[in-house]
Amino acid sequence: MTPSRGGVGSRIGLPVVLGVVLLWTVVPLAWMVLSSFKPADELTATTPTLSFTPTLDHYDALFSGGNNIGPYIRNSLVAAGVSTVIAVTLGCLAGYGLARSRFRGKDHVAFWIISQRMAPIAAVILPLFVIFRFTGLLGSTWGLIVAYLTFNLPFAIWIMNAFFAELNPSLEEAAMIDGASRWSAFRDVALPLVLPGIATTAILCLVFSWNDYAFAVTFSGPDSQTLPIAASQLVTQTSIDWGQLTAIGTIVVAPMILVGLIVRKWLVTGLTLGAVTGE
Amino acid sequence: MAVTTQKAPPATEARHRRPLRQRGLSFEGKMLAPALGVLAAVSIFPFIYIIAMSLSLVGLIGGISFDWVGLDNWTRLFSDGAVWASWLRSVVFFVLTVGLEMLFGIGIALAIYETRRGRNVVTSLVLMPMFMAPVIVGLLGRFLTDSTYGLYAWALDEIGIYNGDILGNTTSAFLAVTLMDVWEWTPLVALIVLAGLTSMPRQVLEAAEMDGASYWSRLRDIVLPMISGVIIVALLIRSMDAIRYFDIITNTTNGGPADATKIVPIRLYETAFRFFDLGYAAAIGLSMLAVTIIMANLFLRILKQRGLAR
Repeated sequence: MTPSRGGVGSRIGLPVVLGVVLLWTVVPLAWMVLSSFKPADELTATTPTLSFTPTLDHYDALFSGGNNIGPYIRNSLVAAGVSTVIAVTLGCLAGYGLARSRFRGKDHVAFWIISQRMAPIAAVILPLFVIFRFTGLLGSTWGLIVAYLTFNLPFAIWIMNAFFAELNPSLEEAAMIDGASRWSAFRDVALPLVLPGIATTAILCLVFSWNDYAFAVTFSGPDSQTLPIAASQLVTQTSIDWGQLTAIGTIVVAPMILVGLIVRKWLVTGLTLGAVTGE
Repeated sequence: MAVTTQKAPPATEARHRRPLRQRGLSFEGKMLAPALGVLAAVSIFPFIYIIAMSLSLVGLIGGISFDWVGLDNWTRLFSDGAVWASWLRSVVFFVLTVGLEMLFGIGIALAIYETRRGRNVVTSLVLMPMFMAPVIVGLLGRFLTDSTYGLYAWALDEIGIYNGDILGNTTSAFLAVTLMDVWEWTPLVALIVLAGLTSMPRQVLEAAEMDGASYWSRLRDIVLPMISGVIIVALLIRSMDAIRYFDIITNTTNGGPADATKIVPIRLYETAFRFFDLGYAAAIGLSMLAVTIIMANLFLRILKQRGLAR
Protein backbone atom coordinates (compact mmCIF):
# COMPACT_ATOMS: atom_id res chain seq x y z
CA MET A 1 0.00 0.00 0.00
CA THR A 2 2.90 2.36 -0.49
CA PRO A 3 2.14 5.25 -2.81
CA SER A 4 5.22 4.57 -4.95
CA ARG A 5 3.83 1.20 -5.96
CA GLY A 6 0.38 2.58 -6.77
CA GLY A 7 -0.66 3.85 -10.16
CA VAL A 8 0.13 7.26 -11.58
CA GLY A 9 -3.18 8.48 -10.17
CA SER A 10 -2.30 7.79 -6.57
CA ARG A 11 1.26 9.11 -7.00
CA ILE A 12 -0.11 12.50 -7.99
CA GLY A 13 -3.34 12.11 -6.03
CA LEU A 14 -1.92 11.71 -2.55
CA PRO A 15 0.01 15.01 -2.36
CA VAL A 16 -2.99 16.83 -3.84
CA VAL A 17 -5.35 15.31 -1.26
CA LEU A 18 -2.96 16.11 1.58
CA GLY A 19 -2.51 19.64 0.25
CA VAL A 20 -6.26 20.26 0.20
CA VAL A 21 -6.65 18.76 3.69
CA LEU A 22 -3.88 20.95 5.09
CA LEU A 23 -5.26 24.08 3.44
CA TRP A 24 -8.74 23.36 4.81
CA THR A 25 -7.36 22.78 8.33
CA VAL A 26 -4.62 25.33 8.61
CA VAL A 27 -5.92 28.40 6.73
CA PRO A 28 -8.53 29.46 9.34
CA LEU A 29 -6.04 29.06 12.19
CA ALA A 30 -3.22 30.78 10.34
CA TRP A 31 -5.59 33.59 9.35
CA MET A 32 -6.61 34.08 12.97
CA VAL A 33 -3.01 34.30 14.16
CA LEU A 34 -2.00 36.59 11.25
CA SER A 35 -4.98 38.87 11.82
CA SER A 36 -4.12 39.25 15.49
CA PHE A 37 -0.87 40.97 14.40
CA LYS A 38 -2.44 43.14 11.71
CA PRO A 39 -2.84 46.90 12.11
CA ALA A 40 -6.49 47.90 12.52
CA ASP A 41 -6.79 49.60 9.13
CA GLU A 42 -5.42 46.57 7.26
CA LEU A 43 -7.83 44.34 9.15
CA THR A 44 -10.85 46.20 7.89
CA ALA A 45 -9.63 46.44 4.30
CA THR A 46 -12.22 44.98 1.96
CA THR A 47 -9.58 42.99 0.10
CA PRO A 48 -7.70 40.61 2.40
CA THR A 49 -3.96 41.21 2.38
CA LEU A 50 -0.91 39.23 3.42
CA SER A 51 1.60 42.07 3.42
CA PHE A 52 1.47 44.23 6.50
CA THR A 53 3.70 45.54 9.27
CA PRO A 54 3.05 43.33 12.30
CA THR A 55 1.87 45.06 15.43
CA LEU A 56 1.18 44.06 19.02
CA ASP A 57 -1.56 46.69 19.37
CA HIS A 58 -4.39 44.18 19.82
CA TYR A 59 -2.52 42.22 22.48
CA ASP A 60 -1.63 45.46 24.26
CA ALA A 61 -5.28 46.48 24.23
CA LEU A 62 -6.26 43.15 25.81
CA PHE A 63 -3.94 43.68 28.76
CA SER A 64 -4.58 47.33 29.48
CA GLY A 65 -7.37 49.62 30.52
CA GLY A 66 -10.86 48.64 31.61
CA ASN A 67 -11.11 45.40 29.69
CA ASN A 68 -7.89 43.84 30.93
CA ILE A 69 -8.17 40.09 30.43
CA GLY A 70 -5.72 39.27 33.26
CA PRO A 71 -8.47 38.36 35.77
CA TYR A 72 -10.23 36.22 33.12
CA ILE A 73 -7.04 34.24 32.54
CA ARG A 74 -6.65 33.72 36.28
CA ASN A 75 -10.28 32.56 36.64
CA SER A 76 -9.83 30.15 33.74
CA LEU A 77 -6.64 28.73 35.24
CA VAL A 78 -8.16 28.32 38.70
CA ALA A 79 -11.46 26.79 37.56
CA ALA A 80 -9.92 24.44 35.00
CA GLY A 81 -6.85 23.66 37.14
CA VAL A 82 -8.61 22.88 40.42
CA SER A 83 -11.31 20.80 38.75
CA THR A 84 -8.62 18.88 36.86
CA VAL A 85 -6.60 18.15 40.02
CA ILE A 86 -9.69 16.93 41.91
CA ALA A 87 -10.93 14.86 38.96
CA VAL A 88 -7.55 13.21 38.30
CA THR A 89 -6.87 12.46 41.98
CA LEU A 90 -10.27 10.89 42.62
CA GLY A 91 -10.21 9.34 39.14
CA CYS A 92 -6.92 7.52 39.83
CA LEU A 93 -8.24 6.02 43.06
CA ALA A 94 -11.62 5.06 41.64
CA GLY A 95 -10.25 3.92 38.29
CA TYR A 96 -7.92 1.53 40.09
CA GLY A 97 -10.69 0.36 42.40
CA LEU A 98 -12.97 -0.29 39.43
CA ALA A 99 -10.30 -2.06 37.38
CA ARG A 100 -9.35 -4.42 40.21
CA SER A 101 -12.77 -5.19 41.65
CA ARG A 102 -15.29 -7.82 40.74
CA PHE A 103 -18.66 -7.28 42.28
CA ARG A 104 -22.17 -7.88 41.15
CA GLY A 105 -23.63 -4.87 39.44
CA LYS A 106 -20.19 -3.58 38.38
CA ASP A 107 -21.51 -3.15 34.83
CA HIS A 108 -24.30 -0.95 36.10
CA VAL A 109 -21.90 1.23 38.07
CA ALA A 110 -19.65 1.51 35.01
CA PHE A 111 -22.59 2.44 32.81
CA TRP A 112 -23.78 5.02 35.29
CA ILE A 113 -20.29 6.60 35.38
CA ILE A 114 -19.90 6.78 31.62
CA SER A 115 -23.44 8.03 31.00
CA GLN A 116 -22.61 11.04 33.20
CA ARG A 117 -19.84 12.00 30.80
CA MET A 118 -22.17 11.81 27.82
CA ALA A 119 -25.10 13.77 29.24
CA PRO A 120 -26.01 16.80 27.08
CA ILE A 121 -24.58 19.95 28.63
CA ALA A 122 -27.80 21.92 28.23
CA ALA A 123 -29.66 19.28 30.27
CA VAL A 124 -26.98 19.30 33.00
CA ILE A 125 -26.90 23.09 33.27
CA LEU A 126 -30.59 23.38 34.03
CA PRO A 127 -30.89 21.67 37.45
CA LEU A 128 -27.41 22.89 38.46
CA PHE A 129 -28.48 26.46 37.81
CA VAL A 130 -31.40 26.18 40.23
CA ILE A 131 -29.33 24.28 42.81
CA PHE A 132 -26.45 26.78 42.57
CA ARG A 133 -28.90 29.62 42.98
CA PHE A 134 -30.00 28.59 46.41
CA THR A 135 -26.65 27.23 47.57
CA GLY A 136 -24.90 30.46 46.66
CA LEU A 137 -22.53 28.78 44.23
CA LEU A 138 -23.91 30.83 41.35
CA GLY A 139 -21.36 33.43 40.28
CA SER A 140 -18.46 31.86 42.19
CA THR A 141 -15.40 30.03 40.89
CA TRP A 142 -16.33 27.07 43.13
CA GLY A 143 -19.58 26.77 41.21
CA LEU A 144 -17.60 26.43 37.98
CA ILE A 145 -15.26 23.87 39.56
CA VAL A 146 -18.24 21.77 40.64
CA ALA A 147 -19.83 22.16 37.21
CA TYR A 148 -16.62 20.99 35.49
CA LEU A 149 -16.49 17.98 37.81
CA THR A 150 -19.79 16.80 36.31
CA PHE A 151 -17.91 15.89 33.12
CA ASN A 152 -14.26 15.67 34.23
CA LEU A 153 -14.78 13.25 37.11
CA PRO A 154 -16.67 10.51 35.19
CA PHE A 155 -14.17 10.97 32.36
CA ALA A 156 -11.15 10.60 34.67
CA ILE A 157 -12.57 7.54 36.46
CA TRP A 158 -13.36 5.84 33.17
CA ILE A 159 -10.03 6.55 31.46
CA MET A 160 -7.91 5.67 34.47
CA ASN A 161 -9.93 2.46 34.75
CA ALA A 162 -8.99 1.69 31.14
CA PHE A 163 -5.29 2.39 31.78
CA PHE A 164 -5.18 0.34 35.02
CA ALA A 165 -7.04 -2.56 33.42
CA GLU A 166 -4.24 -2.75 30.82
CA LEU A 167 -1.76 -3.45 33.63
CA ASN A 168 -1.19 -7.05 34.56
CA PRO A 169 -2.03 -7.37 38.28
CA SER A 170 0.79 -9.89 38.78
CA LEU A 171 3.25 -7.04 39.43
CA GLU A 172 1.16 -5.75 42.31
CA GLU A 173 0.67 -9.30 43.54
CA ALA A 174 4.43 -9.85 43.56
CA ALA A 175 4.90 -6.69 45.61
CA MET A 176 2.28 -7.88 48.06
CA ILE A 177 4.00 -11.25 48.43
CA ASP A 178 7.07 -9.23 49.41
CA GLY A 179 5.00 -7.67 52.15
CA ALA A 180 3.62 -4.52 50.55
CA SER A 181 0.16 -3.40 51.58
CA ARG A 182 -2.57 -3.02 48.97
CA TRP A 183 -2.22 0.73 49.20
CA SER A 184 1.53 0.70 48.62
CA ALA A 185 1.09 -1.84 45.78
CA PHE A 186 -1.19 0.73 44.20
CA ARG A 187 0.93 3.78 44.96
CA ASP A 188 4.44 2.40 44.39
CA VAL A 189 3.82 -0.23 41.70
CA ALA A 190 0.67 0.48 39.67
CA LEU A 191 0.57 4.27 39.76
CA PRO A 192 4.08 4.90 38.33
CA LEU A 193 3.29 2.55 35.44
CA VAL A 194 0.29 4.57 34.31
CA LEU A 195 1.99 7.97 34.39
CA PRO A 196 1.33 8.53 30.66
CA GLY A 197 -2.31 7.74 31.36
CA ILE A 198 -2.40 10.24 34.21
CA ALA A 199 -0.79 12.92 32.01
CA THR A 200 -3.26 12.25 29.20
CA THR A 201 -6.24 12.33 31.55
CA ALA A 202 -5.05 15.53 33.20
CA ILE A 203 -4.43 17.29 29.90
CA LEU A 204 -7.78 16.27 28.44
CA CYS A 205 -9.61 17.37 31.61
CA LEU A 206 -7.76 20.67 31.39
CA VAL A 207 -8.67 21.11 27.70
CA PHE A 208 -12.36 20.27 28.27
CA SER A 209 -12.78 22.72 31.13
CA TRP A 210 -10.54 25.48 29.71
CA ASN A 211 -12.58 25.32 26.49
CA ASP A 212 -15.96 25.37 28.22
CA TYR A 213 -18.33 28.14 27.30
CA ALA A 214 -21.87 26.95 28.13
CA PHE A 215 -21.31 26.38 31.86
CA ALA A 216 -19.24 29.53 32.27
CA VAL A 217 -21.75 31.79 30.53
CA THR A 218 -24.57 30.47 32.73
CA PHE A 219 -22.84 30.11 36.09
CA SER A 220 -20.07 32.68 36.29
CA GLY A 221 -20.47 36.12 37.79
CA PRO A 222 -18.42 39.30 37.40
CA ASP A 223 -15.67 37.81 39.61
CA SER A 224 -15.44 34.38 38.03
CA GLN A 225 -15.77 34.91 34.29
CA THR A 226 -13.38 32.87 32.21
CA LEU A 227 -11.41 33.54 29.04
CA PRO A 228 -14.02 32.16 26.58
CA ILE A 229 -16.54 34.57 28.12
CA ALA A 230 -14.13 37.47 27.61
CA ALA A 231 -13.86 36.41 23.95
CA SER A 232 -17.61 36.26 23.38
CA GLN A 233 -18.06 39.61 25.15
CA LEU A 234 -15.96 41.29 22.47
CA VAL A 235 -18.95 40.76 20.18
CA THR A 236 -21.45 43.55 20.81
CA GLN A 237 -24.65 44.59 19.09
CA THR A 238 -22.96 47.47 17.30
CA SER A 239 -19.48 46.31 16.44
CA ILE A 240 -16.87 43.60 16.72
CA ASP A 241 -13.20 44.41 17.30
CA TRP A 242 -11.76 41.67 15.12
CA GLY A 243 -8.19 42.56 16.04
CA GLN A 244 -8.76 41.93 19.74
CA LEU A 245 -10.98 38.97 19.00
CA THR A 246 -8.35 37.17 16.91
CA ALA A 247 -5.74 38.03 19.56
CA ILE A 248 -7.80 36.56 22.39
CA GLY A 249 -8.63 33.58 20.17
CA THR A 250 -4.93 32.94 19.72
CA ILE A 251 -4.39 33.20 23.50
CA VAL A 252 -7.21 30.72 24.23
CA VAL A 253 -6.24 28.22 21.55
CA ALA A 254 -2.43 28.13 21.47
CA PRO A 255 -1.74 26.57 24.91
CA MET A 256 -4.37 23.84 24.40
CA ILE A 257 -3.02 22.84 20.99
CA LEU A 258 0.45 22.71 22.52
CA VAL A 259 -0.42 20.51 25.51
CA GLY A 260 -2.80 18.42 23.40
CA LEU A 261 -0.09 17.52 20.92
CA ILE A 262 2.31 16.62 23.76
CA VAL A 263 0.15 13.62 24.67
CA ARG A 264 -0.69 12.76 21.06
CA LYS A 265 0.49 9.18 21.46
CA TRP A 266 -2.12 8.41 24.13
CA LEU A 267 -4.78 10.76 22.81
CA VAL A 268 -6.78 8.05 21.06
CA THR A 269 -7.16 6.03 24.27
CA GLY A 270 -8.34 9.15 26.07
CA LEU A 271 -10.71 10.50 23.47
CA THR A 272 -12.35 7.15 22.68
CA LEU A 273 -12.83 6.52 26.40
CA GLY A 274 -10.48 3.56 26.15
CA ALA A 275 -12.29 1.85 23.27
CA VAL A 276 -9.35 2.22 20.87
CA THR A 277 -5.68 2.09 21.87
CA GLY A 278 -2.40 3.16 20.28
CA GLU A 279 -1.72 5.48 17.40
CA MET B 1 -6.09 -8.90 28.91
CA ALA B 2 -9.60 -9.11 30.29
CA VAL B 3 -8.81 -12.74 31.02
CA THR B 4 -5.79 -11.98 33.16
CA THR B 5 -7.61 -9.46 35.29
CA GLN B 6 -10.43 -11.88 35.90
CA LYS B 7 -8.47 -14.83 37.17
CA ALA B 8 -8.94 -15.88 40.78
CA PRO B 9 -7.12 -13.64 43.24
CA PRO B 10 -3.93 -15.25 44.60
CA ALA B 11 -3.73 -16.29 48.20
CA THR B 12 -1.91 -13.18 49.40
CA GLU B 13 -4.51 -10.88 47.98
CA ALA B 14 -7.28 -12.88 49.61
CA ARG B 15 -5.42 -12.79 52.92
CA HIS B 16 -5.11 -9.05 52.68
CA ARG B 17 -8.66 -8.57 51.69
CA ARG B 18 -10.59 -10.74 54.05
CA PRO B 19 -9.96 -8.74 57.24
CA LEU B 20 -10.80 -5.53 55.39
CA ARG B 21 -14.06 -6.91 54.16
CA GLN B 22 -15.02 -7.91 57.67
CA ARG B 23 -14.67 -4.32 58.72
CA GLY B 24 -17.04 -3.26 55.95
CA LEU B 25 -15.76 -1.89 52.67
CA SER B 26 -13.13 -3.79 50.66
CA PHE B 27 -9.96 -2.04 49.49
CA GLU B 28 -11.51 -1.49 46.07
CA GLY B 29 -14.63 -0.14 47.71
CA LYS B 30 -12.60 2.38 49.68
CA MET B 31 -10.82 3.47 46.53
CA LEU B 32 -14.12 3.95 44.74
CA ALA B 33 -16.02 5.61 47.56
CA PRO B 34 -14.74 9.22 47.43
CA ALA B 35 -15.14 9.58 43.66
CA LEU B 36 -18.54 7.90 43.55
CA GLY B 37 -19.66 10.04 46.46
CA VAL B 38 -18.72 13.25 44.66
CA LEU B 39 -20.15 11.98 41.39
CA ALA B 40 -23.43 11.07 43.08
CA ALA B 41 -23.60 14.54 44.62
CA VAL B 42 -23.08 16.31 41.29
CA SER B 43 -25.28 13.97 39.26
CA ILE B 44 -27.97 12.05 41.17
CA PHE B 45 -29.26 15.04 43.08
CA PRO B 46 -29.49 17.22 39.95
CA PHE B 47 -31.13 14.32 38.11
CA ILE B 48 -33.90 14.02 40.71
CA TYR B 49 -34.14 17.77 40.60
CA ILE B 50 -34.62 17.99 36.84
CA ILE B 51 -37.39 15.36 37.02
CA ALA B 52 -39.13 17.39 39.73
CA MET B 53 -38.69 20.54 37.64
CA SER B 54 -40.25 18.87 34.60
CA LEU B 55 -43.38 18.23 36.67
CA SER B 56 -43.63 21.78 37.98
CA LEU B 57 -44.02 25.38 37.12
CA VAL B 58 -40.73 26.78 38.43
CA GLY B 59 -40.68 30.36 39.66
CA LEU B 60 -37.45 32.24 40.22
CA ILE B 61 -38.81 35.39 41.82
CA GLY B 62 -37.83 35.74 45.49
CA GLY B 63 -36.04 32.44 45.79
CA ILE B 64 -37.35 29.39 44.01
CA SER B 65 -40.87 28.07 43.94
CA PHE B 66 -42.18 24.79 42.57
CA ASP B 67 -45.86 24.57 41.66
CA TRP B 68 -46.88 21.02 40.87
CA VAL B 69 -48.44 20.85 37.42
CA GLY B 70 -48.30 17.09 36.83
CA LEU B 71 -47.60 16.11 33.26
CA ASP B 72 -48.48 19.50 31.76
CA ASN B 73 -44.92 20.17 30.56
CA TRP B 74 -44.76 16.73 29.01
CA THR B 75 -48.07 16.93 27.13
CA ARG B 76 -47.00 20.36 25.92
CA LEU B 77 -43.66 18.92 24.77
CA PHE B 78 -45.30 16.30 22.59
CA SER B 79 -47.72 18.75 20.98
CA ASP B 80 -45.25 21.64 20.53
CA GLY B 81 -44.60 22.04 16.81
CA ALA B 82 -41.64 24.36 17.45
CA VAL B 83 -39.85 21.73 19.53
CA TRP B 84 -40.53 19.07 16.91
CA ALA B 85 -39.11 21.43 14.30
CA SER B 86 -36.00 21.77 16.45
CA TRP B 87 -35.69 18.00 16.71
CA LEU B 88 -35.98 17.72 12.94
CA ARG B 89 -33.31 20.41 12.54
CA SER B 90 -31.15 18.58 15.09
CA VAL B 91 -31.48 15.37 13.09
CA VAL B 92 -30.50 17.11 9.84
CA PHE B 93 -27.61 18.91 11.58
CA PHE B 94 -26.58 15.63 13.18
CA VAL B 95 -26.70 13.57 9.97
CA LEU B 96 -24.83 16.26 8.00
CA THR B 97 -22.09 16.96 10.56
CA VAL B 98 -21.48 13.40 11.69
CA GLY B 99 -21.84 12.07 8.13
CA LEU B 100 -19.32 14.52 6.67
CA GLU B 101 -16.97 14.09 9.61
CA MET B 102 -16.97 10.30 9.14
CA LEU B 103 -16.47 10.59 5.38
CA PHE B 104 -13.69 13.18 5.54
CA GLY B 105 -12.17 11.65 8.66
CA ILE B 106 -11.82 8.21 7.08
CA GLY B 107 -10.47 9.78 3.88
CA ILE B 108 -7.90 11.87 5.75
CA ALA B 109 -6.82 8.88 7.86
CA LEU B 110 -6.30 6.79 4.71
CA ALA B 111 -4.29 9.60 3.11
CA ILE B 112 -2.09 10.02 6.22
CA TYR B 113 -1.65 6.25 6.44
CA GLU B 114 -0.21 6.26 2.90
CA THR B 115 2.12 9.13 3.72
CA ARG B 116 5.70 8.26 4.56
CA ARG B 117 7.62 11.53 4.66
CA GLY B 118 6.51 14.16 7.15
CA ARG B 119 3.75 12.00 8.54
CA ASN B 120 4.16 13.28 12.09
CA VAL B 121 4.05 16.92 11.05
CA VAL B 122 1.02 16.36 8.83
CA THR B 123 -0.82 14.51 11.59
CA SER B 124 -0.07 17.22 14.14
CA LEU B 125 -1.24 19.97 11.79
CA VAL B 126 -4.43 18.09 10.92
CA LEU B 127 -5.28 17.48 14.60
CA MET B 128 -5.04 21.13 15.69
CA PRO B 129 -8.69 22.20 15.31
CA MET B 130 -10.01 19.66 17.79
CA PHE B 131 -8.15 21.25 20.71
CA MET B 132 -9.82 24.59 20.06
CA ALA B 133 -12.53 25.98 22.28
CA PRO B 134 -15.76 25.68 20.24
CA VAL B 135 -16.60 29.27 21.15
CA ILE B 136 -13.43 30.41 19.36
CA VAL B 137 -14.28 28.19 16.37
CA GLY B 138 -17.65 29.92 16.21
CA LEU B 139 -16.19 33.42 16.52
CA LEU B 140 -13.45 32.64 14.00
CA GLY B 141 -16.12 31.28 11.64
CA ARG B 142 -17.96 34.55 12.06
CA PHE B 143 -14.80 36.47 11.20
CA LEU B 144 -14.13 34.38 8.09
CA THR B 145 -17.71 34.68 6.82
CA ASP B 146 -18.19 38.36 7.67
CA SER B 147 -19.66 39.94 4.54
CA THR B 148 -17.35 42.98 4.70
CA TYR B 149 -14.03 41.72 6.09
CA GLY B 150 -14.27 37.93 5.92
CA LEU B 151 -11.60 35.97 4.05
CA TYR B 152 -13.95 33.16 3.03
CA ALA B 153 -16.80 35.53 2.19
CA TRP B 154 -14.37 37.46 -0.03
CA ALA B 155 -13.06 34.27 -1.68
CA LEU B 156 -16.58 32.95 -2.39
CA ASP B 157 -17.49 36.31 -3.86
CA GLU B 158 -14.33 36.44 -6.04
CA ILE B 159 -14.96 32.95 -7.42
CA GLY B 160 -18.55 33.95 -7.96
CA ILE B 161 -20.18 31.25 -5.85
CA TYR B 162 -21.89 33.40 -3.24
CA ASN B 163 -22.00 37.09 -2.48
CA GLY B 164 -24.68 37.45 0.18
CA ASP B 165 -24.50 37.58 3.96
CA ILE B 166 -23.54 33.99 4.76
CA LEU B 167 -24.77 33.91 8.36
CA GLY B 168 -27.75 36.10 7.50
CA ASN B 169 -29.53 33.71 5.17
CA THR B 170 -31.19 30.53 6.34
CA THR B 171 -29.63 27.90 4.07
CA SER B 172 -26.13 29.38 3.98
CA ALA B 173 -26.16 29.95 7.75
CA PHE B 174 -27.13 26.33 8.37
CA LEU B 175 -24.42 25.12 6.01
CA ALA B 176 -21.86 27.45 7.57
CA VAL B 177 -22.41 26.27 11.16
CA THR B 178 -22.42 22.67 9.89
CA LEU B 179 -19.06 23.18 8.20
CA MET B 180 -17.61 24.86 11.30
CA ASP B 181 -18.52 21.77 13.31
CA VAL B 182 -17.11 19.54 10.58
CA TRP B 183 -13.91 21.60 10.56
CA GLU B 184 -13.40 21.21 14.29
CA TRP B 185 -14.29 17.51 14.69
CA THR B 186 -13.18 15.76 11.48
CA PRO B 187 -9.64 15.52 12.97
CA LEU B 188 -10.99 13.46 15.87
CA VAL B 189 -12.50 10.89 13.47
CA ALA B 190 -9.26 10.88 11.45
CA LEU B 191 -7.22 10.27 14.63
CA ILE B 192 -9.40 7.33 15.71
CA VAL B 193 -9.49 5.73 12.26
CA LEU B 194 -5.74 6.20 11.87
CA ALA B 195 -5.24 4.29 15.14
CA GLY B 196 -7.33 1.47 13.67
CA LEU B 197 -5.34 1.50 10.42
CA THR B 198 -1.92 1.39 12.09
CA SER B 199 -2.97 -1.56 14.25
CA MET B 200 -3.78 -3.68 11.17
CA PRO B 201 -1.39 -6.57 10.58
CA ARG B 202 0.81 -5.51 7.66
CA GLN B 203 1.26 -9.03 6.26
CA VAL B 204 -2.38 -9.33 5.23
CA LEU B 205 -2.15 -6.13 3.22
CA GLU B 206 1.15 -7.09 1.65
CA ALA B 207 -0.24 -10.49 0.68
CA ALA B 208 -3.22 -8.85 -1.00
CA GLU B 209 -0.88 -6.49 -2.80
CA MET B 210 1.24 -9.40 -4.04
CA ASP B 211 -1.91 -11.01 -5.40
CA GLY B 212 -2.32 -7.92 -7.51
CA ALA B 213 -5.46 -6.58 -5.86
CA SER B 214 -6.04 -2.93 -6.76
CA TYR B 215 -6.02 -0.21 -4.09
CA TRP B 216 -9.78 0.15 -4.18
CA SER B 217 -10.52 -3.54 -3.93
CA ARG B 218 -8.03 -3.90 -1.07
CA LEU B 219 -9.74 -0.97 0.62
CA ARG B 220 -13.22 -2.40 0.15
CA ASP B 221 -12.53 -6.06 0.86
CA ILE B 222 -9.78 -5.94 3.47
CA VAL B 223 -9.12 -2.55 5.04
CA LEU B 224 -12.65 -1.29 5.69
CA PRO B 225 -13.93 -4.58 7.17
CA MET B 226 -10.85 -4.71 9.42
CA ILE B 227 -11.37 -1.24 10.83
CA SER B 228 -15.17 -1.37 10.97
CA GLY B 229 -15.13 -1.67 14.77
CA VAL B 230 -12.98 1.43 15.13
CA ILE B 231 -15.22 3.30 12.68
CA ILE B 232 -18.26 2.48 14.80
CA VAL B 233 -16.48 3.73 17.92
CA ALA B 234 -15.68 7.01 16.13
CA LEU B 235 -19.29 7.28 14.96
CA LEU B 236 -20.69 6.80 18.46
CA ILE B 237 -18.21 9.18 20.12
CA ARG B 238 -19.04 11.89 17.60
CA SER B 239 -22.77 11.19 17.84
CA MET B 240 -22.82 11.70 21.58
CA ASP B 241 -20.76 14.87 21.37
CA ALA B 242 -22.91 16.25 18.54
CA ILE B 243 -25.86 16.33 20.95
CA ARG B 244 -23.71 17.49 23.86
CA TYR B 245 -22.20 20.71 22.57
CA PHE B 246 -23.86 23.82 21.20
CA ASP B 247 -21.21 26.53 21.68
CA ILE B 248 -20.50 27.04 17.99
CA ILE B 249 -24.11 27.89 17.13
CA THR B 250 -24.55 30.01 20.28
CA ASN B 251 -21.67 32.20 19.18
CA THR B 252 -22.51 32.48 15.50
CA THR B 253 -26.22 32.52 14.70
CA ASN B 254 -27.66 31.67 18.15
CA GLY B 255 -30.47 29.76 16.47
CA GLY B 256 -31.23 32.30 13.76
CA PRO B 257 -31.85 33.50 11.13
CA ALA B 258 -35.57 32.72 11.37
CA ASP B 259 -34.85 29.68 13.59
CA ALA B 260 -32.84 28.04 10.78
CA THR B 261 -30.13 26.81 13.17
CA LYS B 262 -32.25 26.38 16.31
CA ILE B 263 -31.35 22.81 17.22
CA VAL B 264 -32.73 21.28 20.44
CA PRO B 265 -30.02 22.39 22.91
CA ILE B 266 -30.30 25.99 21.66
CA ARG B 267 -34.08 25.88 22.11
CA LEU B 268 -33.66 24.38 25.59
CA TYR B 269 -31.21 27.10 26.61
CA GLU B 270 -33.47 29.83 25.26
CA THR B 271 -36.56 28.35 26.95
CA ALA B 272 -34.73 28.21 30.28
CA PHE B 273 -32.60 31.33 30.35
CA ARG B 274 -34.39 33.78 28.08
CA PHE B 275 -38.02 32.94 28.79
CA PHE B 276 -37.29 31.43 32.25
CA ASP B 277 -39.73 28.62 31.54
CA LEU B 278 -37.59 26.23 33.59
CA GLY B 279 -40.14 23.47 34.04
CA TYR B 280 -40.73 23.14 30.33
CA ALA B 281 -37.00 23.34 29.63
CA ALA B 282 -36.51 20.46 32.09
CA ALA B 283 -38.91 18.30 30.06
CA ILE B 284 -36.94 19.11 26.87
CA GLY B 285 -33.70 18.34 28.74
CA LEU B 286 -34.95 14.94 29.90
CA SER B 287 -36.00 14.01 26.38
CA MET B 288 -32.45 14.83 25.22
CA LEU B 289 -31.05 12.76 28.06
CA ALA B 290 -33.14 9.79 26.93
CA VAL B 291 -31.62 9.94 23.45
CA THR B 292 -28.11 10.11 24.94
CA ILE B 293 -28.72 7.13 27.21
CA ILE B 294 -29.76 5.00 24.23
CA MET B 295 -26.50 5.91 22.48
CA ALA B 296 -24.39 5.35 25.60
CA ASN B 297 -25.98 1.89 25.83
CA LEU B 298 -24.98 1.11 22.25
CA PHE B 299 -21.47 2.35 22.94
CA LEU B 300 -21.07 0.15 26.00
CA ARG B 301 -22.44 -2.88 24.16
CA ILE B 302 -19.81 -2.41 21.46
CA LEU B 303 -17.07 -2.02 24.07
CA LYS B 304 -18.15 -5.34 25.54
CA GLN B 305 -18.23 -7.08 22.18
CA ARG B 306 -14.68 -5.94 21.60
CA GLY B 307 -13.75 -7.23 25.03
CA LEU B 308 -12.81 -3.77 26.18
CA ALA B 309 -15.34 -3.06 28.87
CA ARG B 310 -13.95 -4.31 32.10
